[in-house]
Amino acid sequence: MFKVAVTLVVSAGLAVCCAMMAVLIALVASSPTKGWSGRSLSLLDPTYASKYIPIIASVSEHQPPTWPSYFMDINVLAFLVPAGIIACFSPLSDASSFVVLYIVTSVYFSGVMVRLMLVLAPAACILSGIALSQAFDVLARSIKFQLPGFPTNSEVDAGDSNPITVEAKNNAPKTDKTGEPSKDRPSRKNKKKGKEQAERPSVKGKPEKKRLLVLPMGASILALLLLVLLSAFYVVHSVWAAAEAYSAPSIVLTSYSHDGLHVFDDFREAYAWLSHNTDVDHKVASWWDYGYQTTAMANRTVIVDNNTWNNTHIATVGTAMSSPEKAAWEIFNSLDVKYVLVVFGGLVGYPSDDINKFLWMVRIGGGVFPHIKEPDYLRDGQYRIDSEATPTMLNCLMYKLSYYRFVETGGKGFDRVRQTEIGKKYFKLTHFEEVSIHNSPLDGSDIQAETSKKQDSGKVEEIKIKI
Amino acid sequence: MEAVVGARSILAFALFSLLFLLSRSSAHQLNIVNAERRIDLTSHIVKVFLTLKVENVGTEPASEILLAFPPTQVNHLASVEALATTGKRKKKTYVPLIVTPTELPDGPNGTKYFTISLANPLNSGETTTVEVLYLLTHSLEPFPAEISQSESQLVFYKDGAMILSPYHIKQQTTFIKTPSTRVESFTMVEPTNRAGTELKYGPYEDHASYSFSPIIVHFENNNPFAVVEELVREVEISHWGSIQVREQYRLVHTGARHKGVFSRVEYQARPSHSGVSSFKHLLARLPPRVHSVYYRDEIGNISSSHLRTDSRKSELEIEPRYPLFGGWSATFVIGYGLPLQDFLFESPDGRRYLNFSFGCPLADTVVDKLTIKVVLPEGSKDPSAVVPFSVEQHLETKYSYLDVVGRTVVVLEKKNAIPVHNVPFQVYYTFKPIFMLAEPLMLASVIFLFFMACVAYLHIDLSIRK
Repeated sequence: MFKVAVTLVVSAGLAVCCAMMAVLIALVASSPTKGWSGRSLSLLDPTYASKYIPIIASVSEHQPPTWPSYFMDINVLAFLVPAGIIACFSPLSDASSFVVLYIVTSVYFSGVMVRLMLVLAPAACILSGIALSQAFDVLARSIKFQLPGFPTNSEVDAGDSNPITVEAKNNAPKTDKTGEPSKDRPSRKNKKKGKEQAERPSVKGKPEKKRLLVLPMGASILALLLLVLLSAFYVVHSVWAAAEAYSAPSIVLTSYSHDGLHVFDDFREAYAWLSHNTDVDHKVASWWDYGYQTTAMANRTVIVDNNTWNNTHIATVGTAMSSPEKAAWEIFNSLDVKYVLVVFGGLVGYPSDDINKFLWMVRIGGGVFPHIKEPDYLRDGQYRIDSEATPTMLNCLMYKLSYYRFVETGGKGFDRVRQTEIGKKYFKLTHFEEVSIHNSPLDGSDIQAETSKKQDSGKVEEIKIKI
Repeated sequence: MEAVVGARSILAFALFSLLFLLSRSSAHQLNIVNAERRIDLTSHIVKVFLTLKVENVGTEPASEILLAFPPTQVNHLASVEALATTGKRKKKTYVPLIVTPTELPDGPNGTKYFTISLANPLNSGETTTVEVLYLLTHSLEPFPAEISQSESQLVFYKDGAMILSPYHIKQQTTFIKTPSTRVESFTMVEPTNRAGTELKYGPYEDHASYSFSPIIVHFENNNPFAVVEELVREVEISHWGSIQVREQYRLVHTGARHKGVFSRVEYQARPSHSGVSSFKHLLARLPPRVHSVYYRDEIGNISSSHLRTDSRKSELEIEPRYPLFGGWSATFVIGYGLPLQDFLFESPDGRRYLNFSFGCPLADTVVDKLTIKVVLPEGSKDPSAVVPFSVEQHLETKYSYLDVVGRTVVVLEKKNAIPVHNVPFQVYYTFKPIFMLAEPLMLASVIFLFFMACVAYLHIDLSIRK
């Protein structure tokens, strides 16, 4: 009876598993990309996103990393990883071959998308740990065996260098390696001291004896100290990177000047203004970067936010930002938008403002709405906002909202981020009304948040954060 | 028996008639020889100084003077004070008098009254001078109701040219002081003239009691109309040496509403021209030796604030995240700690009392609804509050760290609080010092029991067989 029950359960389980597998296979086979989403496909083909899905290409964390970013992120490990790979090959076991495969694949993927540096980090840590531990092994052993009064068996290995090999008794026999593993260790210490080469034929010892490498005493002490110093610097760098590069809240910008720390709190000021001085059911349209912040701090409904799951919606907002005023007003009116939030950094030189992100608005909008054509905004293949800019660019909503009355602040309308004077200086907003600009005063250079309101008579209100 | 009953009824009748006569005659016993009223309209809290020279023309000595107010003003009346002046010129001394609201149902048109009780009754034929100060809130009505950023704020002030009084006033004058020389219009009730920032109505001679001729003054007032709609102050007493105060504000600008664009560029470029009726700084006066001051709102810390301390006072200057224009509001929380020995004392009958200042520490603001909660330490009994003016009191319980029975909270509520109300008040309670040991004993016993349990567990042999 027991056996019957067992077979019954097993067969039922197998049947269910097969059914699920069949369903899964059917689902995967029926999708055009065979189950891969856009982001994963861009890992396999790095040009996929920029061709078909510009919104994935627009996220800065999806770009390939630069070489310095490797050093910034994993620092010292960049040198230790190759040493660790070599160390894994002596001896090559299942575990060490797994680690080698892990590091090779993670290096490839992190090279495709900088966000995947996270995947590289554990692999790099493992391998550099292996390398460091092997190095410490050799150096400590060298010191131990050369301390006065320590019984040693010395046999010199045939190598291309000066070190003396020591045969250690009672070591468990390891697989093959007689002379090659020691090559990479002394090669690093070659430059430290010059000594005479001692060459003797390698002696094949008994199976339980292993040839181990011993370096000169002075060299090994120095090497040990230097390795410890290297690790200390690594710790210092990691703490600094965590504090400065990874902990900076992008919502509060700080700058150090001669009289201390200046805090640019404009984002929070604009969000606080929105939360207190607008009605609860007024909707705010902005680029998707500010979606979560607006929802959390200003407590207002947004049109698109950082989740970016609806590409068409984002493309609609992008199209509205790239269209002339009347068309943009119609789009925003259909979305029941009351306020438009724009971030502008030209006054003080804040580079991550909406004009710099404008090219992605055009591309993403153009990806869904074909009447937005990117070449209309380019002059000689470049986005310009000065007098050489195309008329489409000078008439689009983003330009108008950012530079409305910009000349009144400085006199000439010089945009510090783009480093040019703006093209169209004097114009009026016909369908939008500027409601408020927020900035924190810093000797005349300000971050401004402009809020424009939409009126029932047909004007959309605009909120601008000028930084 | 009948004689006694008869005597009683006669006595009762006599008493009633006497009282009736007295109440009737007290209204007409006094005459005001000279009345001078100075209305100060410089800030959004209206200050009115009345100087009354009262003569007793009746036969009975009078010990009370009635003050009358129109019903619209009474709702906005935040405080009434009276002083009796004696002596002349340089040797004037002021004696504060008690003012209580009274109900006189026979007042015309719903007039409300306050009674000033004189220290010494005024004999027949004598005169005395009384100075009255009363403060009105929410009495300036902005007109136009909406202004843009570059416009100045104009408000109405409505009052009467003559002082409303149940007595006959022989001669009276009213002076109105405006904050600037810009007065758009004012009602002319002869004789009226205007010189600079002062409007003079009067002198009016021999007007009957309860005479009232309404006037409206339309003038410019750009002082900050800062009103705190709701303020909750929580004062937590801890016998281990500190008082923690936490205040939650909802601040509103009640002047003319802002319409149109708010442009920071213009606001900062030309501060004398743009946004003149807005305000961006608020000054909070805190007691000296204050520590751990924080200023936050729902989003987080607000970095724009300055704290200046010295040995007698501390000043916290706060800037809300954006300047407040008409109709805009901001909410924030201010918290600070104070040393206990400055505020907690022992009264002669063995009870402890907290001596703290009532009212809002922000200067020159009106608080529509002020709630003060004094959280007494656990184990306090018989709480009672002594406040120099009328407040609503009740008790609550609050559960905080290491509380078993909860802490008693004395809740005091007041409507329409102004800086005049920043006077000390006391909360008395009894507390046996032995209760202070409750918390450390609780912690020590918990740790002790835990270690005992560990020791017991390690040493108990629970195996079934050896």
